[in-house]
Amino acid sequence: MSKELKLKKQTVSEWMKSGDPWVWLNAGAVAICVIMVIGLLLLIAVRGLGHFWPADIVEARYEMPGTPAYNLVAERVETAEVSAAQLREAGIQVEDHHDMMSRTLMKTGNRDVYGSDFRWVIDEYLTDLRRPEMLFAAERYEWGNLYGYLLAVKEDGKVVAETSDKEPTASALATWEAFQQRIDRALAIHDDIYEIEKHEIGSINYALERIRLKQRGYELRNELTPAHLADLNAERAQYDAEYKQLQQRLIELYKEINRDTFVVEAMDGSVHEMQVAKIVRAYRPNSMGVFAKLGHYGSKVVEFLTAEPREANTEGGVFPAIFGTIMMVLLMTILVTPFGVVAAVYLREYASQGWFTRIIRIAVNNLAGVPSIVYGVFGLGFFVYFLGSGIDQAFFPEALPSPTFGTGGLMWASITLALLTVPVVIVATEEGLARIPRNVREGSLALGATKAETLWRVVLPMASPAIMTGVILAVARAAGEVAPLMLVGVVKLAPSLPLDGNYPFLHLDQKFMHLGFHIYDVGFQSPNVEAARPLVYATALLLVIVIALLNLAAVTIRNHLREKYKSLEM
Amino acid sequence: MSEAKTHSIDISAMQRSQQALRIEDEKVCLAVNDLHLYYGDKEALKGIDMVIPEKKVTAFIGPSGCGKSTLLRCFNRMNDLVDSCRITGEITLHDQNIYEKGTDVAELRRRVGMVFQKPNPFPKSIYENVAYGLRIQGINKKRVIDETVEWALRSAALWDEVKDRLHESALGMSGGQQQRLVIARTVAVKPEVLLLDEPASALDPISTLKIEELIHELKEEFTIAIVTHNMQQAARVSDYTAFMYMGNMVEFGDTNTLFTNPTKQQTEDYITGRYG
Repeated sequence: MSKELKLKKQTVSEWMKSGDPWVWLNAGAVAICVIMVIGLLLLIAVRGLGHFWPADIVEARYEMPGTPAYNLVAERVETAEVSAAQLREAGIQVEDHHDMMSRTLMKTGNRDVYGSDFRWVIDEYLTDLRRPEMLFAAERYEWGNLYGYLLAVKEDGKVVAETSDKEPTASALATWEAFQQRIDRALAIHDDIYEIEKHEIGSINYALERIRLKQRGYELRNELTPAHLADLNAERAQYDAEYKQLQQRLIELYKEINRDTFVVEAMDGSVHEMQVAKIVRAYRPNSMGVFAKLGHYGSKVVEFLTAEPREANTEGGVFPAIFGTIMMVLLMTILVTPFGVVAAVYLREYASQGWFTRIIRIAVNNLAGVPSIVYGVFGLGFFVYFLGSGIDQAFFPEALPSPTFGTGGLMWASITLALLTVPVVIVATEEGLARIPRNVREGSLALGATKAETLWRVVLPMASPAIMTGVILAVARAAGEVAPLMLVGVVKLAPSLPLDGNYPFLHLDQKFMHLGFHIYDVGFQSPNVEAARPLVYATALLLVIVIALLNLAAVTIRNHLREKYKSLEM
Repeated sequence: MSEAKTHSIDISAMQRSQQALRIEDEKVCLAVNDLHLYYGDKEALKGIDMVIPEKKVTAFIGPSGCGKSTLLRCFNRMNDLVDSCRITGEITLHDQNIYEKGTDVAELRRRVGMVFQKPNPFPKSIYENVAYGLRIQGINKKRVIDETVEWALRSAALWDEVKDRLHESALGMSGGQQQRLVIARTVAVKPEVLLLDEPASALDPISTLKIEELIHELKEEFTIAIVTHNMQQAARVSDYTAFMYMGNMVEFGDTNTLFTNPTKQQTEDYITGRYG
């Protein structure tokens, strides 16, 4: 009765005509993009986040043919396959039947003892692998990690706890307990010292510097009367007295903190006595359960996010870099938004739309394509050397010859990036302005509003979602820029944050740290490449997250504005 | 001729005072004197002469493109916004030439308010829409604004519908409400003249009726000029009607006469539906 719909065999040309191949092509392109983005994030996430996990410490006997055997205590880092021929060329005696051998990078720590942290071992020659519970790892302020067995804890040179066991016996655990207590005590004192040195003495130094500059200012203007001098000296004497007091306390604290020492046996059996004050934290990963390890992991991540870097940025945290990045992006946003909007309003609303305006518009659009390093060079040449030195001579002559604004700093970096991103804001704002319906403008004008009032009260609020789109693009571009920043104010280690408790609180002239530059510095300028590598991934992940959060904030604001001024969709 | 009349609009249904109106008896609000308007090289208004009487409704009718909206937009100098637009001749508002150099255009537009074809409320609350014109004038006293907003919304017959949601977005209102809100917004600055540019063309019949009733009430206080392409509407709401064609003022007179006994053939052809 009814004709069945038969599946007809398609010819290739019919299939091409149906449009299916293009759908597949498009979907394929999208899929590849998604896979690449996810792969990238996964790679940096896995490599970066693994760094904070407390790895087990293995003890083993390592005997390469032709060399004396020794005891190895280390963390596994990574394993790779190498060809036996390559090893033979390196002078290692390898049996003939091997073609490929696996070798492992071991982190032995104790750089002060052996001279290096890492060594490669060939798995084949590792024997007698154990994970003794009493082996401990200690992070130190200097010289990287320490691995070994704890033998004794001393106070003022006198032994308070001691053990000779390498098994978790009562005496070994008691010694460990005493060690931990003394580490906590030392850390508390360390915090006090840090507070005094960084904040209290820091602000005294800041005040003294201001007094010095004030005096120099008087001298330069030939106004230094004895009365002024007496005032300044009185002030100075007051700060000096405060400083003496603090120094006295510091001396006491240092005596306190250096009270305790501990004795450790390294993997080669050598015994070393060290100060407890040098330890950041000590832990025995082989005895830790999953939850203990998770706790350790959490505290390491928190440290990474909130602490200052140590040891040429290869240890500790990246807080100053996070802070510098966000600070700079916010300042850039504050600068670029009004500037870009005002420029766009003029171009779209006031300038007569002739060939000249068109040329300006083309020029602005092309500015977005100028390589960022060129902006860096411009920032250095114009802002730092020209404007900065001019500002110094006009407003800070007392600080010369040391520059105030005549060197790279937060302000110049922000302005340079604002310049870099202003075309994006201009283009987005212009598009937004063009989309405001004419009848809304006329409605306002017909009520007796001037053009400026109409712009300010009706048009700009309605264009604000488009403006925010521009700002989002600007933030995304600026937060990831590194090249121009290297020329105009980013440094590998800034002694203090650009925002602190000393008047005027926000120090625009100060150099700052930046996550992007931090990645470059840690990864490629570090003396200890192996130790730094996981940090490169962790910092990269953090940079991505910070940019994502900044964008998310801007997108949220935009969506809120869009909701409010929905009429545009009419 | 008489046969044509039967097709013309039945004006007996008009709720309008049937007493004869004479333009000579009216007070003059706006007077147009030999007005020419050019868009680039194209002459859109070819020498218009007319008066808009005070506190009366004057309707402009004519086919699309005849220049009636353009003429209306001359009364508050909205055409200034068009770059290529050039005007000669004069329009006086109470004997003051509004095209004179140094005229405060914002002040003129405050005195001559305008309502557009498509409702164009601002993306603000209902209250802020009506208060907008006051705030522009620098009036910030809450009591004054509150009173004016209520008065304006009542004048626009909108108060009862929106008094409970004054602070909600105006964009949530229906099209008819939006148009009455725009009228309220215009009325709130207490202009002398209201220019209505096809105010009901985008609305449904019920909303249209409300707008027409509103026009009846508003003419007690305001001089009204309305552009419409709906001849019934012109007949219903206006006291005087101007018929325009190709940039010329073909005929201008009181509405009764114009619709029942037009003097020009063109007018009669148009209102009887021969073309347009």
